[in-house]
Amino acid sequence: MSNTIELSVIVPVGERYDDVRSLYHDYKRGIDASGLRYELIYVLDGDRPEVFKELVELQQQGEKLKLIKLAKSFGEAIALTVGFDNASGEFLLTLPAYYQVDPTEIPKLISELQNCDMVISHRWPRTGSGFEVFRRRVFHGTLKLFTGVSYRDLGCGVRALKRQVAQEVTLYGDQHRFLPVLASRRGFKVKELDVAQSPKDYFRGAYRPREYLHRLLDIFTIFFLVRFTKKPLRFFGMIGSLTAVAGGIVVLYLVIQRLFLGMPLAERPALLLSSLLVVLGVQILGLGLIGELIIFTHARELKEYNVEKIIN
Amino acid sequence: MEAPSGVSDQRAVDLSVIAPLYNEEESVELLYKSIVDALKDLKLRYELVFVDDGSSDRTFIRAQELADRDPYLRVIKFRKNYGQTPAMAAGIDHASGRLLITMDGDLQNDPRDIPHFIDKIEEGFDIVVGWRFNRQDKLVTRKIPSRIANWLIGKVTGVPIKDNGCSLKAFRAEVIKNIPLYSEMHRFIPAMTSLAGARIAEIKVRHHARQFGMSKYGLSRIYKVLLDLLAIKTVVSFASKPLLWFSILAIPSALVSIGLLASSVNGLFSSSEAFSVPIAGTGVLFGALAIFLFLGGALCELIYKTGDTKPQWLSSLTAQQVLGKEPRGAEDIHEIQPPELADQP
Repeated sequence: MSNTIELSVIVPVGERYDDVRSLYHDYKRGIDASGLRYELIYVLDGDRPEVFKELVELQQQGEKLKLIKLAKSFGEAIALTVGFDNASGEFLLTLPAYYQVDPTEIPKLISELQNCDMVISHRWPRTGSGFEVFRRRVFHGTLKLFTGVSYRDLGCGVRALKRQVAQEVTLYGDQHRFLPVLASRRGFKVKELDVAQSPKDYFRGAYRPREYLHRLLDIFTIFFLVRFTKKPLRFFGMIGSLTAVAGGIVVLYLVIQRLFLGMPLAERPALLLSSLLVVLGVQILGLGLIGELIIFTHARELKEYNVEKIIN
Repeated sequence: MEAPSGVSDQRAVDLSVIAPLYNEEESVELLYKSIVDALKDLKLRYELVFVDDGSSDRTFIRAQELADRDPYLRVIKFRKNYGQTPAMAAGIDHASGRLLITMDGDLQNDPRDIPHFIDKIEEGFDIVVGWRFNRQDKLVTRKIPSRIANWLIGKVTGVPIKDNGCSLKAFRAEVIKNIPLYSEMHRFIPAMTSLAGARIAEIKVRHHARQFGMSKYGLSRIYKVLLDLLAIKTVVSFASKPLLWFSILAIPSALVSIGLLASSVNGLFSSSEAFSVPIAGTGVLFGALAIFLFLGGALCELIYKTGDTKPQWLSSLTAQQVLGKEPRGAEDIHEIQPPELADQP
């Protein structure tokens, strides 16, 4: 068939979006340059009446685009998943609903997909205040510290990937940022490519403190998923046994003092503190055991390995 | 690209030999030849399953060359390195034999031992494990830690196997395919299955010093083994009644709590002893811990009810024993046609 779709472009539209019309035309020019037969899918994450109106108008003007509207706002990860599910191309490209990357860079990203399974972009050279640069460094540095993977621009939504990646990696919550991390964990080859930043890419407003906390928790979730999904007791056991042993040593010390040096136990708040540590440690170990049981009962559906090829 | 997941198509073979390979480009061909040599006199239809555990060298290409000539060599390539247990699990998932043999891919096990394993299985054992009685490894970094680990595993699980770490093992397929293999559980396969009622035999095997490359699967660290052991104990031996297991764990802290609280209540009412906040507080803490553990056990019951790996495999195994059903073995293995291996090099 000559008119099968090779590339599906998915644009999730959330809270932040730039002028729909000009962005659409810019993207279109960029994708056209790749020479692939493509489809364009807009996923509206919840009620975005302005965007919806403009997109419908574009459709009426004869522009070919698929429009999916979610009943309520589910977050970008779900919007992307819905887009993936409705895509028919072998290659997928995700684009943000606002300017991040110069659209002329799109063909470069897609052609790089010949050599790997996923291409993510790194906006470079990049503008931004000193604080923003610092914030990005801290975010990626923390991620590297916890998971050992080093990426430089996970905030960039311009990513090209093969269909199989989207099929195998499940996203939920705020994990869309970490799609490359999760993909490489499943053995896919992920490449980071330097691309020109769009001149219209600027961040409005500051993050609220809550956002920082969320990012930190996200990193922790990813850390746990990447390192300890299969062995929760290793993780909980490490923390739990250290806590319990520390508490145990202090308790022992206090008891020895009581027995041999005659220091009364009853007046020592240190007893309370140390037994608190013991209790906490045992509780953490207990959680680890529960986790271990969860893994065991699901071990058959959770395949630990990913097969690339089978011969014979 | 082939469909990566799912169960392999069933082939008419009796025996599958599974070997994980990780950066073994020099060994692949030798390994293949030695296995074929060892098996050619047995009247068995067999296949080989090589699992390339995300090697960075030419292991896969070498294995592929062999597989092109031999349709009974199946090669599974991982996308990245996952470790020995997942590699074995993949081999087991994709093997079609009724009898499965696992072995190291680094030539340290000797395929000439395989017939002894088959004999033992024919005698009626479900699992036969190898014992590297003259182990050719470094004493301090490998042999001593492993001896401690084996002693400990034997104590906790009650299955005194001398060498849990030996990869050369034979299984009845229906036994091993029902056991969830993950993390580094291959070390505990005998223990797990024996708790489930499997009959286990241990035989001495030859062990060779490493010919090529470096040791890849690191030394067994006691700490990891300890935690894994605790996990196994929880999961297997108390799996069917987690509430009981957690309640047992809760007893000591409940006792401590009762003792401390009793003494502080005594302090509250008697005039001679003063009421002590730290003592009472400690009592309350341990009481809370006991309650936490008890509720944790209740939660586990819930997980068990909803999970899908219920200990059915335990019952299916023991049922076989209870019924005194003779396991398939001796006779029908030997009356099989000669090997259907294609052109042997």
